[in-house]
Amino acid sequence: MESKRKIPVTGIGMLNVLAAVSMPAAIAAIFFLAPREETMGEVQRIFYVHVAVAWCGLMSLIVSALAGASYLFRRDLAWDHWSLAAAELGWLGCGLALITGSLWARAAWSVWWTWDPRLTTTFILWLIYSGYFLVRGGLEDGHRRARVGAVMTILGMLDLPLLFMATRWFRGIHPVPQGMEPSMRTALIASLASFSALFLLLLILRKVQLKQAQILLTCESAAEMNADDSPGW
Amino acid sequence: MVAKLWWMIHKDLVSEWRARRAWPSMLLFGTVVALTFGAQIEPLSQWKAQISGSLLWLAIFFAGMLAIDRSFAAEREEGSMDGLSLYPISSEAVFLAKLAVNAIALGALQAVLIPLFIVFCDAPLAAHPWAMLLVAMLGNLGIASVGTLLSALTSGTRHSGSMLALLALPLAIPVLLAASKATQCLGGAQIDADCWRWMQLLGAFAVVFSIAGMLLFDFARED
Repeated sequence: MESKRKIPVTGIGMLNVLAAVSMPAAIAAIFFLAPREETMGEVQRIFYVHVAVAWCGLMSLIVSALAGASYLFRRDLAWDHWSLAAAELGWLGCGLALITGSLWARAAWSVWWTWDPRLTTTFILWLIYSGYFLVRGGLEDGHRRARVGAVMTILGMLDLPLLFMATRWFRGIHPVPQGMEPSMRTALIASLASFSALFLLLLILRKVQLKQAQILLTCESAAEMNADDSPGW
Repeated sequence: MVAKLWWMIHKDLVSEWRARRAWPSMLLFGTVVALTFGAQIEPLSQWKAQISGSLLWLAIFFAGMLAIDRSFAAEREEGSMDGLSLYPISSEAVFLAKLAVNAIALGALQAVLIPLFIVFCDAPLAAHPWAMLLVAMLGNLGIASVGTLLSALTSGTRHSGSMLALLALPLAIPVLLAASKATQCLGGAQIDADCWRWMQLLGAFAVVFSIAGMLLFDFARED
């Protein structure tokens, strides 16, 4: 038992250390290594964080849909735990990308919001997953919740390309970075790596937590059934 | 296969006709919305043509949800859900039949709403009738495909109606955007390339979500 439990714990521990070390390094790279951008000035530095959280959020949503599909085939609640944990992180990533993007847009374009395809798509994805949490919350049975959740995450990912096309044809002004300074690229990669480590760590921790909650629930219902059965009969 | 599909559709249409569970409330709600929108945009006379297309599709979506929410209500309330799965046809066909019934419901709704929007909002919806019909049908299939699958998913849960609209609206945004843009450009003198592009998007959405619905329907309805 002891030796079995050690492997994941050290894995999480290593990831913990990696996230703890890489995050300050990335922040240092963003503020001290990357040069001041010519036209936008200091505010451009939010770009490194923005791209990293948006990337992690999108990856989480893809993981969530894949884990959801695995649940539908295997019917193992562990997959649902992965899917839910990833959906929560995807929702978080989308939300943070919206906030950081909005701050940047206010400084660069002097508006908080534009109907840019990436912005709009991110916001709609955020809404889809908000609905996903609501509908899950309304269901009691674990497997039913997992089934509904899995279908929703798959639908969300199928919707993504169509959503992006529809909003892109509406009108697009999202900047696409061209020709980055090498030190800027280093800062971006550092930021991407550290956020990826953080999201992976959070994903695993949340998955473990969901697993424990499920064990607790099974123990409780078993105890209740015992309590119901024993005295009267 | 086609005959079986037709009998499924026929069964649902007849039972709707006899019991009138969903269509009257859908049509009445759509009419009220058309009237309200018409009154609201009256002062904005120069923008009417642009706005009315989007409002039409919002009205279709929300009124349509009333009917789509009831897709599986009869089966669930009368306990014939098991009967549905015992039919000697594949579950894909059951989904397609339900999808078709919902698309027909939306078509009936449009048959009422489009004239009403022409009357109340002065909307230029009859400039290219055949193209408008195509947009209406593609939009219907898109909304119905997402709606039918989500209805199977949410039916029997608490607040299924509000849940359905809540889940379907963000997923159907590509349909609503494309359909209202296509409707808007059909108001112009000629159908341009933009128009066709939006129609292609509508078609792509309908195909992707109909196939996804057929594949996921079994997972969505089991209990």
